[in-house]
Amino acid sequence: MTALPRLALVAATAFSLMAGTALSQDTFNIWWFEGADSAQGITWTEALEELKAAHPDVTVNFEQKTFDQMQQSGSMILNSAEAPDILEYNKGNATAGLVSSQGLLTNLDEAFTAEGWDKFLNEGQLVLSRYNELGVYGSGSIWGISTYGEYVSAYYNIDAFEKAGVNVPTTLEELPAAFDTFKAQGVVPLALGGASTGGQHLLASLAYTKADDTWIQNYQGLKEPLDGAPYLYAAQTLTDWLAKGYITKDSTGMNDDDAALQFTSGQSPVYVSGTWNLGNFSANIKDFKWGQFVIPTPKFSVGSTGNLWVIPKGSKNPALAKEFISLLLSTKYQTEQANNGGVSFGADAAQVTNPVGANASAVFKQIADKQGLGFYPDWPVPGFYDVLNQKDTGLLQGTLTPEQFVEEIKEVYDDAQMSQ
Amino acid sequence: MVDIAAPRTAAVSTSAHSVRYRSPMRWVILAILLALLAFTLAPFVLALLNAFKPGTDYVRGGPLSLPTYLQFDSIAKFWTLADYSRKLLNSTIISAAVSILAVIISLFNAYALGIGRVRGSVVILALLLLGTMVPQESIIYPIYWMAKSVGLYDTQIAVIIIFAVLQSAFGTYLLSSVMSTFPREILEAAEIDGATRWQILIRVVMPIMSPTLMVLGTFFFIWTWNEFLIPVVMLVSNNNQTVSVAMGLTRGQNLSDPTLQAAAGLLGILPTVIFFLIFQRTLTRGVIAGAVK
Amino acid sequence: MAVDSVSVGRHRRGYYLYLIPGFIGLLLIVIGPQIANFVLSFTAWKGVGTPRWIGGQNYQRLLTDDQFWGSMHNTLWYMLSMTAIPVLIGLVLASLLFDYVRDQFGEKLSSFFRAAFYLPQILPLTVAGVLWGWILNPVGVANAILKMVGLGAFAQNWLGDATYALPAVSLVIVWIQVGYCLVVFMAGLSRIDPSLYEAAQLDGAGWWQRLLSITIPMLAPEIFVVVLTTLIHALKVFAPVFVLTQGGPDDATLAPSYLTYYHFFATQRVGYAAAVSTVQMILTLGLAAIFIWYQTRQAAREA
Repeated sequence: MTALPRLALVAATAFSLMAGTALSQDTFNIWWFEGADSAQGITWTEALEELKAAHPDVTVNFEQKTFDQMQQSGSMILNSAEAPDILEYNKGNATAGLVSSQGLLTNLDEAFTAEGWDKFLNEGQLVLSRYNELGVYGSGSIWGISTYGEYVSAYYNIDAFEKAGVNVPTTLEELPAAFDTFKAQGVVPLALGGASTGGQHLLASLAYTKADDTWIQNYQGLKEPLDGAPYLYAAQTLTDWLAKGYITKDSTGMNDDDAALQFTSGQSPVYVSGTWNLGNFSANIKDFKWGQFVIPTPKFSVGSTGNLWVIPKGSKNPALAKEFISLLLSTKYQTEQANNGGVSFGADAAQVTNPVGANASAVFKQIADKQGLGFYPDWPVPGFYDVLNQKDTGLLQGTLTPEQFVEEIKEVYDDAQMSQ
Repeated sequence: MVDIAAPRTAAVSTSAHSVRYRSPMRWVILAILLALLAFTLAPFVLALLNAFKPGTDYVRGGPLSLPTYLQFDSIAKFWTLADYSRKLLNSTIISAAVSILAVIISLFNAYALGIGRVRGSVVILALLLLGTMVPQESIIYPIYWMAKSVGLYDTQIAVIIIFAVLQSAFGTYLLSSVMSTFPREILEAAEIDGATRWQILIRVVMPIMSPTLMVLGTFFFIWTWNEFLIPVVMLVSNNNQTVSVAMGLTRGQNLSDPTLQAAAGLLGILPTVIFFLIFQRTLTRGVIAGAVK
Repeated sequence: MAVDSVSVGRHRRGYYLYLIPGFIGLLLIVIGPQIANFVLSFTAWKGVGTPRWIGGQNYQRLLTDDQFWGSMHNTLWYMLSMTAIPVLIGLVLASLLFDYVRDQFGEKLSSFFRAAFYLPQILPLTVAGVLWGWILNPVGVANAILKMVGLGAFAQNWLGDATYALPAVSLVIVWIQVGYCLVVFMAGLSRIDPSLYEAAQLDGAGWWQRLLSITIPMLAPEIFVVVLTTLIHALKVFAPVFVLTQGGPDDATLAPSYLTYYHFFATQRVGYAAAVSTVQMILTLGLAAIFIWYQTRQAAREA
């Protein structure tokens, strides 16, 4: 190469390197995958606007991601130069635990006290933020922060209940009794999306009513081979309900959308599912009044703190990332989140005007205060989500007896437990 | 061997069927065909029905109900949410680039195998055919690592190269069998005129093969457009992603939005349908035409 | 019978140059990763960090893995639905459209049908999955129609019932595949000398007979290509399973590719997944080899 082109090449490289380093502090890349319509999506967008306004010299790049993509390639992305400065990541051993144990995330222990997050979050809310060196939750450093909650409860058609003269069940026995009343009127009481999440959430909700602290800790922590008793109870109950016609046999082919539809169209008065439905329900159910009740349980319900905000190890703008988290944890935005219909734990109850958000946050507080967050049933083992779905449909279809169901999930669970 | 682009000796004309006996059976056959058609098009109709349906109608009546009024919200929402114009552009660029590149690679390979008849053709062809047999999941991790190490992770170029190679496996197989029956006289004549191998390829072989090449290119475009596993893994930034990946936006962690899905479905179908309608001619012409010029 | 091609181009060796781009691509994208995959199958790896050598443990595990054998068994079904049935339907339809419809109704209608039947091929599968999910839902279109025509008793939980899921998924696969077979066969039909048909027609042969005695034998090359390619795809089938049932219910529709995907990306048991996919690859190769060998023997016999 002659002198001039070579010089130009060097100059170009130097310039781009300079520009590169200069730019990296002037940009802030943030990703999340909560729906744009969800309480979280709306709140986070508002908070991001405030962040932008506070830092006019920074180019804020937001990318709306999909859950599928993050679930599937999350670890691959974090292991590359394409990771953003902060992102929403799924909580649990198989996701956040895995990448934290591989050194792909920034340790947030220091930030926790330095930024003042310890004023907003207690230990109970940090359980899912901590992962040890093996990637198991519950102990170890803080690797991510959650700013909202979620739980599974029973949505019910208030009008239908009133018409049938049924009261909201306060004990576990009252639940099938309520179903019975509806059944007698020729209505399928419980809508269930057996082909997907709905099945395992209902099952877990029932199982957790028989669980104690030790069971939950062992189960979620993969500490012992599975004690199948709670699941056996749940499976038997489910089979029983199926036989009595409280759930339709069609439920195995229905996913959550279809089951939700069964509820929203007024066909079934009860639908057991999570708080992620709140957005859709409050926007679209106009025909009847609806509400939620917690499935009566001594202590544990299916629920947890929400997805985590994590800062990748290679984040070029960790300061802004931490600032964003602080914003979301502030009373202002927690209240805002509740007003958007979300489940907040730091909202100023006096300022919350949205009944949906107020109620949801109150229910969450109710569960969290008694340390009753049992987390989700598929967390202990990577891939368990699919296993539970499969075995669930087997149970609902009648191809698996409750005993076989427990046996088969125990097999997978124990296998993972022993090969840790 | 397969002569997919071989010339038709007689044009399609009614004169070939001099006795046109119109049997009454034909209405029965037509009815059967129409029933099959309904079955074939049912999903498309569903997408159409639900894409313009308001959310409240859906929660009340489900996917089969007729909308009480039409709304374009879902379509608009999906378009902006997915930055659909960008996705369309990306899909088009990737599919077109793959289509062209794969055709070129196939042509080169087939030239050597079908016309050049190099030694070991069978073995070479078998090796190239491996490309059709490889399951995509098994090569993703190694390719991810390779791409990352050369800085091509999250680039369209990586995806283009991957698919060009994979598609060309089939293309080579097809083209080489067609080109092995390429009329020798023409090649010899060109050679006698002093043409080099390259010139023969460009000036003689390519023009004659062009109908088949266009058909192949069209197939490649469509197949690449619909791919999703490799794009989902290899394309990270939203700006690089394709249309198939965008569908995933309608499904959240726990929820999906059905009218949004239908809107997404419709928007996902339209480009391919339009493309197909435009290139249907090519497909038809390509397979029927192609007499030795 | 091959004409000595040394006359075309002075050195045959020069043609090797043209193989270079294709070969580089092959090495980088196919052969290299396959070898890497093979090596990975002897390790335990989570996708990040360093792989741990464990020898043949993955393969041992594979032998007793019910899911694996189940997926192999399902593959037989998928070969039916991806190959046998679409080829048969494709042949009949192609002949029907090309011969009968063109004759009785004209070229335009025939082309219209062909284009319409090809449409499923161009639909992105992620989209098709959602749409077919709505149709095959227990409260969806299929059952609604059955009830409408009084066949309500046949209404099933198509995708959620282990007995019906595999046939239902197979149906969707047939829906997708017929178009491909149809187009290739119709293309092939256009090269058959029409005088053969005329002669047969004059001899009094009906459409069906013409199909059996002329069309099918003459289309042998196309049939060979289509059967081979669809068989390979049957062994690799992934997308329909992924979008419709995720292998369920209770592994009823599990395919080898879905199993590998599950282990590659959900359980992050990358080493095991590599082992399964190596076995899958070997089976595909074997099948293709047998098929090609059989076909060349047939062709040689006929020559």
